[in-house]
Amino acid sequence: MKLLKPTWVNHNGKPIFSVDIHPDGTKFATGGQGQDSGKVVIWNMSPVLQEDDEKDENIPKMLCQMDNHLACVNCVRWSNSGMYLASGGDDKLIMVWKRATYIGPSTVFGSSGKLANVEQWRCVSILRNHSGDVMDVAWSPHDAWLASCSVDNTVVIWNAVKFPEILATLRGHSGLVKGLTWDPVGKYIASQADDRSLKVWRTLDWQLETSITKPFDECGGTTHVLRLSWSPDGHYLVSAHAMNNSGPTAQIIEREGWKTNMDFVGHRKAVTVVKFNPKIFKKKQKNGSSAKPSCPYCCCAVGSKDRSLSVWLTCLKRPLVVIHELFDKSIMDISWTLNGLGILVCSMDGSVAFLDFSQDELGDPLSEEEKSRIHQSTYGKSLAIMTEAQLSTAVIENPEMLKYQRRQQQQQLDQKSAATREMGSATSVAGVVNGESLEDIRKNLLKKQVETRTADGRRRITPLCIAQLDTGSPQLLPLDSSTPNSFGASKPCTEPVVAASARPAGDSVNKDSMNATSTPAALSPSVLTTPSKIEPMKAFDSRFTERSKATPGAPALTSMTPTAVERLKEQNLVKELRPRDLLESSSDSDEKVPLAKASSLSKRKLELEVETVEKKKKGRPRKDSRLMPVSLSVQSPAALTAEKEAMCLSAPALALKLPIPSPQRAFTLQVSSDPSMYIEVENEVTVVGGVKLSRLKCNREGKEWETVLTSRILTAAGSCDVVCVACEKRMLSVFSTCGRRLLSPILLPSPISTLHCTGSYVMALTAAATLSVWDVHRQVVVVKEESLHSILAGSDMTVSQILLTQHGIPVMNLSDGKAYCFNPSLSTWNLVSDKQDSLAQCADFRSSLPSQDAMLCSGPLAIIQGRTSNSGRQAARLFSVPHVVQQETTLAYLENQVAAALTLQSSHEYRHWLLVYARYLVNEGFEYRLREICKDLLGPVHYSTGSQWESTVVGLRKRELLKELLPVIGQNLRFQRLFTECQEQLDILRDK
Amino acid sequence: MAKVSVLNVAVLENPSPFHSPFRFEISFECSEALADDLEWKIIYVGSAESEEFDQILDSVLVGPVPAGRHMFVFQTDAVGVTVVLITCTYHGQEFIRVGYYVNNEYLNPELRENPPMKPDFSQLQRNILASNPRVTRFHINWDNNMDRLEAIETQDPSLGCGLPLNCTPIKGLGLPGCIPGLLPENSMDCI
Repeated sequence: MKLLKPTWVNHNGKPIFSVDIHPDGTKFATGGQGQDSGKVVIWNMSPVLQEDDEKDENIPKMLCQMDNHLACVNCVRWSNSGMYLASGGDDKLIMVWKRATYIGPSTVFGSSGKLANVEQWRCVSILRNHSGDVMDVAWSPHDAWLASCSVDNTVVIWNAVKFPEILATLRGHSGLVKGLTWDPVGKYIASQADDRSLKVWRTLDWQLETSITKPFDECGGTTHVLRLSWSPDGHYLVSAHAMNNSGPTAQIIEREGWKTNMDFVGHRKAVTVVKFNPKIFKKKQKNGSSAKPSCPYCCCAVGSKDRSLSVWLTCLKRPLVVIHELFDKSIMDISWTLNGLGILVCSMDGSVAFLDFSQDELGDPLSEEEKSRIHQSTYGKSLAIMTEAQLSTAVIENPEMLKYQRRQQQQQLDQKSAATREMGSATSVAGVVNGESLEDIRKNLLKKQVETRTADGRRRITPLCIAQLDTGSPQLLPLDSSTPNSFGASKPCTEPVVAASARPAGDSVNKDSMNATSTPAALSPSVLTTPSKIEPMKAFDSRFTERSKATPGAPALTSMTPTAVERLKEQNLVKELRPRDLLESSSDSDEKVPLAKASSLSKRKLELEVETVEKKKKGRPRKDSRLMPVSLSVQSPAALTAEKEAMCLSAPALALKLPIPSPQRAFTLQVSSDPSMYIEVENEVTVVGGVKLSRLKCNREGKEWETVLTSRILTAAGSCDVVCVACEKRMLSVFSTCGRRLLSPILLPSPISTLHCTGSYVMALTAAATLSVWDVHRQVVVVKEESLHSILAGSDMTVSQILLTQHGIPVMNLSDGKAYCFNPSLSTWNLVSDKQDSLAQCADFRSSLPSQDAMLCSGPLAIIQGRTSNSGRQAARLFSVPHVVQQETTLAYLENQVAAALTLQSSHEYRHWLLVYARYLVNEGFEYRLREICKDLLGPVHYSTGSQWESTVVGLRKRELLKELLPVIGQNLRFQRLFTECQEQLDILRDK
Repeated sequence: MAKVSVLNVAVLENPSPFHSPFRFEISFECSEALADDLEWKIIYVGSAESEEFDQILDSVLVGPVPAGRHMFVFQTDAVGVTVVLITCTYHGQEFIRVGYYVNNEYLNPELRENPPMKPDFSQLQRNILASNPRVTRFHINWDNNMDRLEAIETQDPSLGCGLPLNCTPIKGLGLPGCIPGLLPENSMDCI
């Protein structure tokens, strides 16, 4: 082990509260106190790792500093992807930073010396919610959530996909919450607070799983932070400051049963921070020794208020190393490098120490594959499981496939190098505005500058904009070591450690003594450089007596009990129901109004008027004019007879009866906001020779037209193409956007209940619960007097939403959460969505989604199913269901989605879901279904007259779709034959 | 979080003859479009001890300021100062203050050795020590909430921001007659 104190890592003597190493190992962040503000600094890692780089003046040490926090920064944490940095501070804020690539280096103007910000990190989100200092932040293993804790006694879970959305606020602590850690498989989050408790929360429902208090009963006094940590295998949770027999300890809590039988003892003062090594290790295999497989173990660093650091291996009873008096003040934070061999420690005294271990000391780290296998065997599925892992042993059989794979790699490389070039030439890119170089601009700036005088005679200059701010385009920062991020680090990030240890011994001694100026004399460099002399302190005695029993491979399987499944379902049900209930609460009142009574009819009318007026006043019309919440109640035939209008019903046998809009004197209807379009109706306004006429006015982007009708208008609807009104005497009239009558009035079979328009389609729902859809432009019927009997029959359901798609497909959302669409070609009602569908809740296909953005695929299906981002729920559910069950449900769910998109003729959504489905099939290795899809998309290669094959599906060319699928299929070597087959046949078709 | 950060102040035409105007090329970055203009001032520091002797030599409004990087040239005819401050305020609150030392000396070595009793301005060269600006930043309220802003001002006048500088702006300092008066004796050691 080597120890180094890079003195150049400092906040000008101010305390450093947090340190975190970037996942790619090329940089690290520190957070703490700055000059009358909080301070976050991003440092280059290579000068820490390599002495040559430290001496080289061309290699920057500081990459970026941000003084934006108004008060001390308590925590800095990189996201697992390395894209983002989150910082939390005493100013109650969490800031999320992202690297901006559009501009070159800039200086922090006026900071002493020439400290340039080599990298630009920009605050992309400010998360405000806490009412007190933010003490710790933590990204979930899959970066979907960000947790923060504060002295306001709460933990807040933020939706990291959609900042600043809050998913949950965890309340329960009665003291300042000072530390957070996620379970590595994403099932729990643990928090430790000053209230002498450690609480574990479930990510499934964000409820308390357990509260552990016993080990903390004796705890007195406070520490600034309580950074606890979860072991990478998930089996152990280790707390900060706990007490045992009046001695400070770090309590080990077992995942199974939350038992607290073991602890790390030996520190003389409270433990402030515990940090597990991200790697799981196994014993180094010595040459010649029997290849006896040893149990994997974890490694953990513990820092304390007593200024010392101890490093433990869970297979040893005593610490691997203890370093006393490493700092002048309490240790505040610890961070391991991703390779698990380096560790950065920071202290309140404002300095940072770097410890460098060798594999001989720690052991052989397990590969990510092996680690994820451990997770998989223990928990079913890990968030970190990679598909590549399964492929490493496959043989590429086909040169085409090899070419394809190479091409893909090349593409990735190209993208990277493009990014490199972009970054390298960032200055020149930024320096050119409209083809003019920055130099030219500067030369003429004074001449070109627009200067005006304000009303009070003051000079006013319009500044010249030289760069736009990037709006967070998803420019992924490459994570590999072979990227420009590693400033001057000539070797990939895994190598510096080797390189460092290869340094001549004397050299490193010199360096250590040189750099460790603040290290007390008690720490002689020679002791630190020779591992053999590391002597564990006697006082450090781990009570790992039960070690043998609790190996990481132990079957702590969290199998789902049936009751748990039930509970899960119930919880989801409740969640699902809530928003729907809210949605309906307004319509409920309408529903209860008995239509037979005239008095209540007028009341209802009033309500309606109020509603429309309100809509207009707020200027916030329904964005989607196609969506209309309506409440249609089913009445008994008895009530039917009370209805006057019922007399003109030709078929009085009908059992269903939908409410009829009552005549109003005037009403206004907003059709769309962009372009702004609204319809005004005034009934019985003009009296010409004793005749009462009704006026219909339509205003579209300021252009107005009006027309008159002879009978009172009951309801109106419009789209960008048509405007239609339903009048008394069952008349329906349709007008063009310019007010021209398109059809002679249509006589409806029964009085109108609801009218709806989308594009050139007009939908009329009559009081007798029949539905008709016409295409006005082509003058054809799409749906002819179809009864709602089949979907409404049997119970007292109501229609909560009506939707007419762009393709004229009517969709009815019912109050029980189901949605049906009418398929004109089959003349059937098809179930397209069910809010209580348990499949949707168990399905997990996040890994198959193209990207975060594409998740928000819009279309009728999305509208029906609601846009509630269920990624959080899905992720939460991930570990509660056996993997096989989940596969099945996911497949079933995705197939439902594809079919529903097809039924709705929503080509965009069909393509989206088909790709997701195919990707899932590829990832999970389902060949038969994948083959069937390909076969259908490909069609017959050789033309035959008997073929029933259609070359398009919902307006998309099937073979084009197949071409899109091919790269997806090519990702899994297991499907290389299918890939080759399809490609060859497509080639044949192309050549024809 | 400050919405505006000054990236650089370049002193143009430096060194330059004594009578030539000051030109500062200021580049700054704005993270969020500003509702109102920024006000930039060039201030002559009469005394290092007190702000009482500060004089605003020139001020200019800069706007509109959308999000992004911007630059402009702040030119003023004020001459003959030894310490110059550039400040920027938003809604009357100062959030950055950049100070430069100014050195006036004769180009001619002979004159430098034996300066005439009456300064020969035509021979003087002005050199702004551009490489060593003194930058002070202040946290201010960037929100448009004027009520809150006033509350802050009245609550804590010691913040130093939002307080108008206690001096009278002087315009048209380029007039030759004003120059001698502007040169404080204690800092004229080079002449």
